[in-house]
Amino acid sequence: MKTLLKPSEISRAAGRLCRIGPGELAPLPPPYEDFNATVPKPLNEDKIKNIEASLDDTLAIGIPKPATKEEEEELIRRFLSGLRKLFERENNWTFLRQLTLSLEHCARCQTCSDACPVFEMSGRQEIYRPIFRSEVLRRVCKKYLTPGGKMTAKWTGDIDLNWTAIARLAELSYRCSLCRRCASVCPIGVDNGLIAHEIRKLFSQEMGIAPKELHEKGTVLHLRAGSSTGMNPLAAKDSVEFIQEEMEEITGCPVEIPWDREGADILLIHNAGEMLAWPENVGAFAILFQAAGLSWTLSSETAGYDAVNYGLWYDDVQLSRVALRHADIARRLKVNKIVVGECGHAHKALIETSDRLLTGKLNIPRESALVTLENIVMSGKLSFDPQKNDFPVTLHDPCNYVRSMGIVEPQRRILRRIAPRFREMTPHGVDNYCCGGGSGFAIMSGYNFTDWRNLVSSRKKFLQILQAFENEPPQTPRYVCAPCSNCKGAIRDIIGYYKAEERSRLYYGGLVELIVNALDGMKKPIIQFGEEPSWQ
Amino acid sequence: MGFYIFTYACLAVCLATVVWRVRRQLTLPVHLRWEIYPVQHEPAGKAAYGGSYMEELNWWEKKRERSPVNEILYMAPEILLMRGLWKENRSLWRFSFPFHLGLYLMPAALVLLLTSAVLTLLGFAEDGIVAAIVEKLIVAAGWSGVLAGAAGSLGMLVRRLTDREMRAYATVADYFNLLLILMFFICALLALIAADPLPGAARSYVMGLLTAGTAVPGYAPGQSLPGALTIVLGSLLMAYIPLTHMSHMFMKYFLYHRVKWDDEPNRPGSPLESAVKKNLEYRPTWKAGHVDADGKKTWRDIAAPAPKEIK
Repeated sequence: MKTLLKPSEISRAAGRLCRIGPGELAPLPPPYEDFNATVPKPLNEDKIKNIEASLDDTLAIGIPKPATKEEEEELIRRFLSGLRKLFERENNWTFLRQLTLSLEHCARCQTCSDACPVFEMSGRQEIYRPIFRSEVLRRVCKKYLTPGGKMTAKWTGDIDLNWTAIARLAELSYRCSLCRRCASVCPIGVDNGLIAHEIRKLFSQEMGIAPKELHEKGTVLHLRAGSSTGMNPLAAKDSVEFIQEEMEEITGCPVEIPWDREGADILLIHNAGEMLAWPENVGAFAILFQAAGLSWTLSSETAGYDAVNYGLWYDDVQLSRVALRHADIARRLKVNKIVVGECGHAHKALIETSDRLLTGKLNIPRESALVTLENIVMSGKLSFDPQKNDFPVTLHDPCNYVRSMGIVEPQRRILRRIAPRFREMTPHGVDNYCCGGGSGFAIMSGYNFTDWRNLVSSRKKFLQILQAFENEPPQTPRYVCAPCSNCKGAIRDIIGYYKAEERSRLYYGGLVELIVNALDGMKKPIIQFGEEPSWQ
Repeated sequence: MGFYIFTYACLAVCLATVVWRVRRQLTLPVHLRWEIYPVQHEPAGKAAYGGSYMEELNWWEKKRERSPVNEILYMAPEILLMRGLWKENRSLWRFSFPFHLGLYLMPAALVLLLTSAVLTLLGFAEDGIVAAIVEKLIVAAGWSGVLAGAAGSLGMLVRRLTDREMRAYATVADYFNLLLILMFFICALLALIAADPLPGAARSYVMGLLTAGTAVPGYAPGQSLPGALTIVLGSLLMAYIPLTHMSHMFMKYFLYHRVKWDDEPNRPGSPLESAVKKNLEYRPTWKAGHVDADGKKTWRDIAAPAPKEIK
């Protein structure tokens, strides 16, 4: 039995702290045993020679190594300066209460460990244990921020702070998908996901260190060009025009997708990634809203057509900027409410977390698309034929809907109405497992991070999906309903990586597509299994 | 008198620490929402599966339903029986429950001892029915608390020493805390067994505490070694627990009610909105370039206009 790595070892000089060996990951069932010895592709040593890569087998940020001793010392100073700011109300009123409570009251009982899918699936690699990074931060705070902390460090848990430890801690904050399953089982209420979030924030807001997919190509691009996909308003309109034509082929009649309609009841904001990767999702909303006779509009203002808010995962300032932009667009359009499309983190960012950022006329009512969709399906205004969805369906619960917002039943009531072969995953609802793409993982692909995600953080979800369909005949197509863009991205990658379309006939998509697929009067199905239409 | 002064001093530290911790939480700025479902003050139907008011169409137009009863029904077994630990970590619960039960019953016994002393001072007959009930409760709480606490703290210490996952994260302070508590319970148990089973000396000591030693002139505290150690260690624990992570015994209120279950929506014109407006006037000093903070601009200034990078 190998000795467990201790939090203090994060500052040790030599080598990588963790390497996953072949066969160490949690085993997969047939026909996926050939992946049981697979480990993430080794990092290209030439490519990373000037990069801090001493944590594990992958890189999420890729922090450049300091060129001089002076630079290294300056980085340590800035880290400590940022650490102090986490405890100042001027700088961190946003999460000060949550942080202090979680740092001060952990009993280190390890109840959280078994709840963490990354820790479990990695073969219980110590650095992925939920309290490992929390305990590092806790000890650093006690030693370096508390008066007399250096004298009492041997008593409260010693740790040395050097640049290696800091760089490792930055990377380590991106090995937790912030699913907060650990927090939900903690008997005391300590939130290790929140601590990971605060570490990310320190690095971003004080040191300018964050994965480029979240910052430069994420929030910065979103605010500058209009979308983190890089689409400007013209490109977005072009995409939607194309989607409109596609949808007309499905409905056999004109489909209108309104832009910038002042005074509409609803401003619908999609994750713009849908327009590029899953256009049928955007189209299905249009078909359904039109059929239900809703008064609605899209916005072509910069950022108004992209609901994402990556700031939620790493930077409160960027979170605030994006949320205020969304709210201001709705205010100027004079809509009655914003409906957020099928995107979990956009839900949490705009409806829940930013609730205490929006004041006065910016405090526009905000609603989940799942609730709007449920109202349409259950209103009786439209007619559905559930037999068109006569294939096995399971539901993935995005963490942000269920555990973070308590939106659990609307999607289920819809599925029970329109998908006769719907079955739950185990566990589900507020006890769900993350898709493995949470907190930005789904869009982070630098170095070999995609490999790590598919093999480690998404592994539990893959097992759950396989289990949900285990008694189905091999040739039956199976539909994973994932009503969230990032979750869909992660599930798409799982299916591709493990060749699960070929081996298990796994397909995936959103919720609104299933609704439109069962809607009476459609000329063609909106859901296809490869080249095969889901109904004739 | 030295014992009394020591206990008074420890009580003062305890109260000051509790007040400091609670006051700090009460005066912190309103934070961004970060709740976790199930939120137990939702009506029972929703709380059962973890649903929220955000499942309702146009929820902001509806009257919010909250169920304090449901919250109490959840919290009572959580506090008294440690239901969460039972569900998620049963092997630890076997030690943790008696450990906490012992720690709960000690203040309960103290309150009963104080009640008994007050009854005596008020002139209630010592052989009256009220006094008799209190006496029996003191014996029950004292004995069961000490037995449970001794067994639980020993079990917790052994578990922390033998479980490699817990050991890897344990600090010297963790072992010290458990040893201190174990020693207290062992001393209290020895005192009960060897010298004071009813426990008359404990009643006299608490009476002395209430009257600064004047009401029981014939009694000198700490006449037996276990009794003296029980007074010293018990007083120390009273001061020490609130200073450590073990303050979760009462700070759990904030972890649950102010964070995990804080789902209060920000309604226009509400006190919450005023608090948010106040927060937006804070002047951050974060140094990363994209933040564009200088200690003069407010959060509102920084968040509202286009940031420097996109100008």
